[in-house]
Amino acid sequence: MEKIKITVGLGSCGIAAGAGKTYDKLIEWQQDVNYNFELAKTSCIGMCFNEPLVEVSSNQGSWLYGAVDEKRMQEILNYHSIKNEPLTKYVVYSENLDTPGKTYFDGQVKIALRNCGYIDPENMNEAEASGAYNAIKKIVSEKLSADTVIQMVLDSGLRGRGGAGFPTGKKWQFAKSYSGDEKYVICNADEGDPGAFMDRSLLEGDPHSVLEGMIICAYSIGATGGVIYCRAEYPLAIIRLNIAIEQSRSKGYLGKNIFGLQGFNFDIYVKEGAGAFVCGEETALIASIEGKRGMPNKRPPFPAEAGLWGKPTNINNVETWANIPWIINNGPEKYAAYGTEKSKGTKVFALTGKIKNGGLVEVPMGITVNEIIFKLGGGIIGDKQFKAVQLGGPSGGCIPAHLGETLIDYDSVQATGAIMGSGGMVVMDETTCMVDIARFFLDFTVKESCGKCTFCRIGTKRMLEILERICDGQGADGDIEKLEELGHQIIENSLCGLGQTAPNPVLSTIRYFRNEYEAHIYDKKCPAKVCKKLITYMVDEEKCTGCTICAVKCPTKAISGEKKKTHFVHQELCIKCGACFSNCNFDAIRLV
Amino acid sequence: MIKITINNQEFEATKGESIYDVAKRNNISIPTLCHDERLEPYSSCYVCVVEIDGMKNLQPSCSTRVMEGMKIHTENDRVKRARKTALDLLMSNHYADCVGPCKIACPAHVDVQGYISLIEKKQYTEAIALIKQKNPLPAICGRVCVRPCEFNCRRNLLDEGAGVGVDYLKRFAADIDLNSDNRFMPEKNSATGKKVAIIGAGPGGLSAAFWLQQKGHQCDIYEAMPKPGGWLRYGIPEYRLPNDVLDKEIETITDLGVNIYCNKKLGDNLSYAELKNNYNSVILTIGSQKGTLLGTEGEDAEGVYSGIDFLKNMEATGQRADFRGKTVVVVGGGNTAMDCCRTSIRCKADKVYVVYRRTEKEMPANPIEIHESKIEGVEYLFLTNPVRVNKTIDGKLESVRLIKMALGEPDASGRRRPVEVPGSEFDLKTDFILAAIGQKTEVNFLDDMNSHTAEGELKINKWGDIDVDPLTLQTGIPGVFAAGDGVSGPATIIEAIAQAQTASRSCHQYLMGEEMSLDPEEFVSRKDHFSKLNESDFKGHFELQFRKEMPVLDASGRLNFKEVELGYDNEETALQETGRCLECGCSEFFSCDLQKYATQYGADQKKYSGMYNNIPVDFRHPLIEIDNNKCILCARCVRICRDIAGANALGLVKRGVETAIAPSMGDSLSHTHCDSCGLCISACPTGAITENFPFKPGPVRTDMFQTISPFGGLGEKTTIHHKNDFIFKTTGASGFVNPDTNIDPLAKFGYRFFNTSERITRPMIRKDGKLTKVSFEEAISFIAENIKKVKPEENAFFAGARLTNEEQYLIQKLARAGAKSNAVHSFHYLFSGKGYIHNSLKNAALSDIPQAASVYLFTSRLNYDNAGLGYTINNARRKNKLKVHLYLENNTNNVKLQHKCDEVHHVKSYYYFVKAANHYLLSQGKENMMYIEHHCKNFEEYKKQLLSENYNALVEKAGSREMIEKFADAYNMQMNSILVFAEKEISGNTATEIRNLAMITGKPGKIASGIIALKEKNNAQGLLDMGAFCCIAPGTVKYDDPEVLAKLSNVWKVPVASFDGICTADKLQQAQLKNLLIFGEDPVGCAIDKQMVKAMLQQSKFIVVQDYILTETAALADVVLPASSPFETGGSFTNSQRSIQSFEAGMKPMTEMSNIAQINALMKQFGIKTISENEAILGEASAFLNGNSLVLEFLSTDSDNYQPVFRYGCDVAMKYYYENCFLE
Repeated sequence: MEKIKITVGLGSCGIAAGAGKTYDKLIEWQQDVNYNFELAKTSCIGMCFNEPLVEVSSNQGSWLYGAVDEKRMQEILNYHSIKNEPLTKYVVYSENLDTPGKTYFDGQVKIALRNCGYIDPENMNEAEASGAYNAIKKIVSEKLSADTVIQMVLDSGLRGRGGAGFPTGKKWQFAKSYSGDEKYVICNADEGDPGAFMDRSLLEGDPHSVLEGMIICAYSIGATGGVIYCRAEYPLAIIRLNIAIEQSRSKGYLGKNIFGLQGFNFDIYVKEGAGAFVCGEETALIASIEGKRGMPNKRPPFPAEAGLWGKPTNINNVETWANIPWIINNGPEKYAAYGTEKSKGTKVFALTGKIKNGGLVEVPMGITVNEIIFKLGGGIIGDKQFKAVQLGGPSGGCIPAHLGETLIDYDSVQATGAIMGSGGMVVMDETTCMVDIARFFLDFTVKESCGKCTFCRIGTKRMLEILERICDGQGADGDIEKLEELGHQIIENSLCGLGQTAPNPVLSTIRYFRNEYEAHIYDKKCPAKVCKKLITYMVDEEKCTGCTICAVKCPTKAISGEKKKTHFVHQELCIKCGACFSNCNFDAIRLV
Repeated sequence: MIKITINNQEFEATKGESIYDVAKRNNISIPTLCHDERLEPYSSCYVCVVEIDGMKNLQPSCSTRVMEGMKIHTENDRVKRARKTALDLLMSNHYADCVGPCKIACPAHVDVQGYISLIEKKQYTEAIALIKQKNPLPAICGRVCVRPCEFNCRRNLLDEGAGVGVDYLKRFAADIDLNSDNRFMPEKNSATGKKVAIIGAGPGGLSAAFWLQQKGHQCDIYEAMPKPGGWLRYGIPEYRLPNDVLDKEIETITDLGVNIYCNKKLGDNLSYAELKNNYNSVILTIGSQKGTLLGTEGEDAEGVYSGIDFLKNMEATGQRADFRGKTVVVVGGGNTAMDCCRTSIRCKADKVYVVYRRTEKEMPANPIEIHESKIEGVEYLFLTNPVRVNKTIDGKLESVRLIKMALGEPDASGRRRPVEVPGSEFDLKTDFILAAIGQKTEVNFLDDMNSHTAEGELKINKWGDIDVDPLTLQTGIPGVFAAGDGVSGPATIIEAIAQAQTASRSCHQYLMGEEMSLDPEEFVSRKDHFSKLNESDFKGHFELQFRKEMPVLDASGRLNFKEVELGYDNEETALQETGRCLECGCSEFFSCDLQKYATQYGADQKKYSGMYNNIPVDFRHPLIEIDNNKCILCARCVRICRDIAGANALGLVKRGVETAIAPSMGDSLSHTHCDSCGLCISACPTGAITENFPFKPGPVRTDMFQTISPFGGLGEKTTIHHKNDFIFKTTGASGFVNPDTNIDPLAKFGYRFFNTSERITRPMIRKDGKLTKVSFEEAISFIAENIKKVKPEENAFFAGARLTNEEQYLIQKLARAGAKSNAVHSFHYLFSGKGYIHNSLKNAALSDIPQAASVYLFTSRLNYDNAGLGYTINNARRKNKLKVHLYLENNTNNVKLQHKCDEVHHVKSYYYFVKAANHYLLSQGKENMMYIEHHCKNFEEYKKQLLSENYNALVEKAGSREMIEKFADAYNMQMNSILVFAEKEISGNTATEIRNLAMITGKPGKIASGIIALKEKNNAQGLLDMGAFCCIAPGTVKYDDPEVLAKLSNVWKVPVASFDGICTADKLQQAQLKNLLIFGEDPVGCAIDKQMVKAMLQQSKFIVVQDYILTETAALADVVLPASSPFETGGSFTNSQRSIQSFEAGMKPMTEMSNIAQINALMKQFGIKTISENEAILGEASAFLNGNSLVLEFLSTDSDNYQPVFRYGCDVAMKYYYENCFLE
């Protein structure tokens, strides 16, 4: 019996899907003499829609299985152990098999995620075997100067992956140019966009790449302290970060005179954030670390000049940090070979919404929206009509289907009114109401506004109230113009990025779907049939068989009718819950 | 230097400056709400935004730093639009009233809340002055106004439909003013030479004349009737508005120079041609004079009259109708109907019916009138309407046919329309019908005017009223204006007055050749813009206080025309009624920046209406009130509390639109680290954090003056806001020691004492055991007599530390030159031991604090007693990394101070701690010999003496050896370290040892080094410098020096008292003093052991006390003199740092003779030449202040001599503060 290796994906996504149980079962089976396998764990493999994911590898190859619960695991295990061959019907990806996951993986270029899903994130040896800390070791051994390192980062064309896309090398240059008895490096791991989870996956899957990126920056700008500001809702990430930090310390990679370099003192600790969206904003993040209420301050002074505790500080996002060691190891040219003129390298996207292959993908810049959605993403669930994709979460905007050939790079995306943001991609189909989706995102920012500046605090709330009115069928002539006027004013007159971008989802949906707004306001109709107050459930007399299921399921007894006779919806009682619609077996409930 | 342009003009600026600062420096005003120059920029309000070329977004100018070549625009359309939107948004969540609904409801917008506040303070003339800005007829309106103010009063929602008795209060104040010898008379501009003819002497005409005459225009009123008053006289019966009240109030208008010509009717015996030739402008206030009848068949019957004609005839003829045995039917439901029916009763009618087609609820008449009429016997036929008048064959009235009505659908007015009930007719026999259902305007001079005018045309509108421009009230003829019923049709008095105001403003603008325009509309935030308030908004939040109804004539005594309402019987009733005012309008209305900018940028509260916060007002702190609904979240309060006060007692809670200010942990502010300093109040740009006033703050417009705080020893400059000497509040002003305007809580809240109603204004002499008011003359000679009766040295004079330098100087001069006694002292320093004299010598300046590296606090109460210095230290600690070390003695503890310090140490005794430190430094040879040799005297002797003491014994009494030596070394070695101590908490000997320490370490006189001594009282230093001590003469020189005595004799031109070497304290204790003259101190009231002090004082034979109120000491006195306050006299104080600060008087004296005048009067009794001007007195005193009299001299001490006998600096005003306004 050939020995096989079984690796279970134990990222938060896997655990949530039940990977923990599968893993526990495997530990049990390891005691079974009938089986002979090596058990390993890794983190998110990216294909979140197929979790739990388990990889089985042997001399003959490797097979990634999807949706592996205990039962399926046993089947697979038996196949490999007894028949010594893969159980192909469950394989989602294998190099030599034509599986649904083929395009999903083959279309990707993994730089930031290079180790995610391959290594055990809690195992230092595995990390180092995969190249962790090679970049900083190279810098030290080759005695690369700080300026050389910064130049490499500059040459790579890497731009901040947190959303704003500021050139990372430039940011480092600034931080280096200000002197201070102490300087700090901060990792912004306050991932807050609804629908974005690439930072969490990275921290869970390859924490050392983030630490190494920070160490390289500390070396370059002369920092002495590092903080990873991570939201407390990411407990697994925090556990793994702390394990990684401890491992690095014990290896002499953090602490005093690290990597044997006299005077290179740098250490990192994890600060848990309470989960306020605004704390992803640099100055609010710093205030929060300092123990103050997380509220932004006017820049300048930028953190590079006066940041944490008033000292020069460089802040980068998790994904940015993860790119750094790769750039140093492989050279900036190689990184810059990917992407477009002004947007180099790769970008990780979190695909969510009405898309078949929801999960994380890392793609080279310059790929089109359609490629991501239809090639990697596998298209729309139920093969419905693709309507738009929301990029950049609540700070971003939508790119409508007709602009599907837009290139994914900072400038092309911005030209559509959306933003690259941190890489959240919420895919919407014909059943998504664009007014409702704008309301949804604005509701998020309204609740997350820190309350400091007037326009963001009150202005966004007023916009939301107008949207709510529109969705409730109370929209009035002039509301769209009022939204536009207020939206522009909020963008112009807000202190931080939160307020300056909060109206984007509204303005961009008005830009591309003004007719939907007008339908709500003037016709009192929701074309996507989402806004409850604007839709009516009716029984299709021709299709209704009088099976009574709708009447039984209706929670307010709004449907009546005799058996085998056409039923009827009493509109005054209907609360538009949709129970009849989803339970009807004859497609006899119509939405009007 | 960099160059920028603002609004296309070039300016120089320094790198790092904000745009706001540069603009302000160059007098370009940029509005801001969140920026406070005492704090770092914050940028939350976005009202200060500006446009910068090349930048995509607008930028907040307060936090945007200038850069070379920046091009800035501060007032273009984009910027203005953004500011307006910011204000619209802020206002959309500003659930608050700028002014009360009473003022808004009043057509003339009389400031009801303001005058109620003034009535509360018994400032009746001021109240009338305020009313007359908008309504010149308060005594009349106080009786007969329809009172929209009261119907809109929120008390209605609380006390079962009884609004505040606004009119009763107005009448109360107006009657007092009207009957006083000194009626309010508005100021008048000098004559313009223009003349205005006013047609009609009704309320409109009288009001127009009142305002225009003030503007300097000669107003002549032409009245058709024999007497002025219009309907006030001819329509309203005397039992409601007595003619003498009317006459007197009209007199207040004619007193201004207005002429009234009666029996002159335009178009009749007066032609417009005449007016046109003699006047520059005409105002038509002709009223609506013609009564309408029933409009039914038979109304021409004899016995059918219009109600107003009936009333008018009676007044005009002076003949009262005789209705004995008759029945009268009054038709209508308004106030005229009430006047008719109640008059009919008074004309002794047998039966009086009121016929009204709806129900009582719909009656437009004042409910009180209906109520009174019923008491008087009027019967009501509701839901009834006349359809025909039945007359006899000879045309006389026989009966009236009435029909029953029912209420149908609501009509345009919202009232249900009455409809006839078919077949319900019935006849009612009656002798008279008085139709009170309407009036019409009659313009009889149309042709006369139009035929004599060269330009324009007077027109009548479709209702038969004069046609005017609704905004300016100008008629079709330029320069001819119209107001009142003649324009609006029959309306109310107050509406006529409101119109008269508009017409007179337009007329004035016309006369002055100005463009006729309305005043810019002022922004007014109103809770009503958000939702309709109801009972639940008030019940449970306010106490129920039922309305005190006005006393009225007994119903049996009403068959006459005597006034029925009698007026409040006393001030107490009025005061009680003022207490019912809920003060809906904001106390900060006149100082609110938010309101100011909202007006300036035309903010619209309803544009972005939506969800709003409605958070209960937090009244829990006795001094500070938080109304989050007014808060704009600028966080100035939060920041000033954290950065300057250092208390960090306030914070922000929740997120987004629900964010609010809250004391930490949501507790009451008084349970936090709040020091009750009031800096938060000073920072609030609107009315969200205000003083929790113990009186009704109005708001009223106050007068202001600047002064030096008469409380703490720092000498902070303050602004006193007062109205007729009642102090409404104190705010900080930019002064020598507080350039940033921050003031300590004593200065902030201490003013409350001066609003006391207990001020003594006349001298009193004890006669037969009772203090009896006497004249100053009698009191002064009585005192002088008693002084002369005993040996000179048996007279002792005590001067308070609160007194001005001038007063203190004169008191010691009176003693030494007049009474020839050297027993001069101050209870403030008495018994507290020697050693305080040198404390202020070469102190580090307060302004050096930011340059210091460390401060050592030998005071446990810096956050309370000397909070002003505390602010500077907190701010330097935060900004300049100043290290603060607190040393607390024995069991003292102050958690609110401890958290503001870097280190806290507990020592057993300040005295031994410092002495041990000195011993340690000297024994280790760590003294700064170079400094000592150059600057100090007496070192060797001191050293010998000190080193002879046992170090271990000192350590034993001080605390730990380690702590002492660590402190000594740190203080010694650190370049810029300052030791701060408060005289209030340490003995004189400790102060001496602290000074020795400073000299040993070579610090006094160097920048940010040495010591800062804090005095307890505003002018404690003055006592020393002015020589109000038995052992020292003016200039802090020893009194035993013959040269000094010679100089004094020389200047004072009389022999002076000799030095007997006995301390006044000893004399007092040994009962050697027969006469005690105590100026501005309350030793008994402020004593720790009152019995002991009382017994000690009572050993003397004769006590004179000069103070503001009858203090516990004054209660013992044989003569009590009323003290003047520094606010009333001006003068100078010398602060803890020995800076002399002069200030002017700002209020009028409450006593006939000031303190100085009283002392001078006594001085005269001893033949001493007097000086009375403050500057001259200080000038004479200054001759002795040569500044070099004190030298750095080492002095040995033997023991701690801290035996405090008095608290509160021995001052009754400070005592009041600590007992009433202080929260520890």
